[in-house]
Amino acid sequence: MDRFPHVAKIQIPFIVNGKNVTVQAYPMERLLDVLRKQLQLTGTKEGCGEGECGSCSVLMDGILVNSCLVPALQASGCHVLTIEGLASQGKFHILQEAFQEFGGAQCGICTPGMILAAVHLLERKSEPTMDEIREALSGNLCRCTGYSQIVEAVAEAARRRCKTA
Amino acid sequence: MRSNPAAFQLLTPGSLAAVVHLLADEPGEWTPMAGGTDLMVQYAAGKLPARNLVNICNLPELRGIETTPGEIRIGAGCTYTEIANHPTIRSEFPLLRHAAHWTGGIANQNRGTIGGNIVNASPAADSLPALLVYEAELILVSVRGERRLPYENFHTGYKKTLLAPDELIRDVCLSRPGVQSFSYARKVGARNAQAISKVCMAAMGCMNGGVIEDVRIALGSVAPIPLRLKQTEHSLRGQAIGPELLLETKKSVAAEIRPIDDIRSSARYRSTVAGNLVVEFLTRLSAEPSKAARVCSAVLLEWNRMRADEAADSILPCCGSRAWAQRMAAMRPFEAESALLAAARDIWVNLERSDWLEAFRAHPRIGESRNSSLAQANPYPATPQSVKWSADEQRDVANAELAVRTALANANREYESRFERVFIVCATGKSASEMLEILRRRLQNDPETEWLEAAEQQRQITEIRLRKWLEG
Repeated sequence: MDRFPHVAKIQIPFIVNGKNVTVQAYPMERLLDVLRKQLQLTGTKEGCGEGECGSCSVLMDGILVNSCLVPALQASGCHVLTIEGLASQGKFHILQEAFQEFGGAQCGICTPGMILAAVHLLERKSEPTMDEIREALSGNLCRCTGYSQIVEAVAEAARRRCKTA
Repeated sequence: MRSNPAAFQLLTPGSLAAVVHLLADEPGEWTPMAGGTDLMVQYAAGKLPARNLVNICNLPELRGIETTPGEIRIGAGCTYTEIANHPTIRSEFPLLRHAAHWTGGIANQNRGTIGGNIVNASPAADSLPALLVYEAELILVSVRGERRLPYENFHTGYKKTLLAPDELIRDVCLSRPGVQSFSYARKVGARNAQAISKVCMAAMGCMNGGVIEDVRIALGSVAPIPLRLKQTEHSLRGQAIGPELLLETKKSVAAEIRPIDDIRSSARYRSTVAGNLVVEFLTRLSAEPSKAARVCSAVLLEWNRMRADEAADSILPCCGSRAWAQRMAAMRPFEAESALLAAARDIWVNLERSDWLEAFRAHPRIGESRNSSLAQANPYPATPQSVKWSADEQRDVANAELAVRTALANANREYESRFERVFIVCATGKSASEMLEILRRRLQNDPETEWLEAAEQQRQITEIRLRKWLEG
């Protein structure tokens, strides 16, 4: 028999897209569910639910993670960035712009994760090679198989970012 | 069927002492969770047997990679990203670096920990064959104290380990190699990224006098536990690598492994691929030079480990440009001497002229001792080592006739007034009169040609000095 048949919800404070939030959640609730169901941040998608597809990618303290594998408790005190936090003042992020221009999205389920994986890459390598881009996106699956356009979009965003920097 | 989160407890005790107390108070009741890349998958599928989890993610006592002269201690809570990026692991433990890079995709490498990979005890885990080959040791802690045990004994059966219910892995320790052996790792899976291996291998070996002097081979996904192929290794030692040995080795590998059919592959496929991987490794090993020829000198290993400023100071006598020395230090670690020599060349030719000039200034005039009154009055950025090398290089000049030395002194003055810097020539193996001849010829050069000729001479000097420096 379970020692804790009914674990109590706890208060979990963290920062989402720059805003302080405190949610009431079970410690083992998935960060993905907290984002989607409690905070209505439905840009983060659920694909496989087992850390294989990257649809639920978010940045946690700047690190790319699969939010389906993060228990809410572990997000306590962290800065979480979701796809909703990327555009600023109604203007697309440079990666969002490039994805739009290059046709880097079809059904759109993988797109938020792809873009956050690309943000994670460009934070670390401002001038990535094509191989580095492919590797950085290797944990993100696209079932519409639009990889070429996605990789092109990231490469173009990197070029534009270097130019404006 | 998805798990009900209300049925699972997750606590953060906050310190290692508090965690081991919790584990000791209710042995077997609590399951530690770090990055959650295995446990959360079972949880999502409704297959996590544990109900009470203790959060050890970011526990400071489990983080960090500590390097001592003899070994490297990897905190069990270090992620694969941290492991793959660590300079000592990159230079001295390439098998572990490769494995860290293969484990899941980037997001899983950012969260998954080496301790978690060991305790999860999957026979398909990518990093475990590397730990077997490096003969890792584990430090386990509990309220009873700590114990250190060889990793190779840790797995006792499928998903069974020596970890007691009240224990936690704190560190993974690897002895640092004195000599860089040839190492080879390969993973065979449905795709390169984010795939669980069908078979993976880590292997290391060295040749001496045309035979295998030492060899270690470990495979994943071919037995209930990650497997070191001790019998095969034994039969390989002392043998020359040829077609017959490779054929025998395939049989020996097949006899030693115990692969199964499962969703990812079949026993037959795994057995064939395991044999092929070992043969691929041996074929590459046979093309390697003998151990004596590929020693990564003790000097280079030590230099790879220094602080950047110490490393730059240490190599500065080889070439007196500080920019060169700093860039060399920044390019560490070097796995082989050939890579060091190649980098020395590349960095040198791409330096600014002011950096070239700084290197030239570290040399005394040809035929002039460093202790002359001029050197005293106008100290060059030389080091005691470079002064000694300069004296060795110019040995022939010191013994030359007075007339030649006087002519050299005059030509030096002429060179300095024309080009406004000291004359640089690679003096090793050249007599005083040869150098005089070269100096007179170069006085006819236009300034641009002379810059390049001087720089090429400095490059040759640097290379000769680097070879001496590597000998210690």
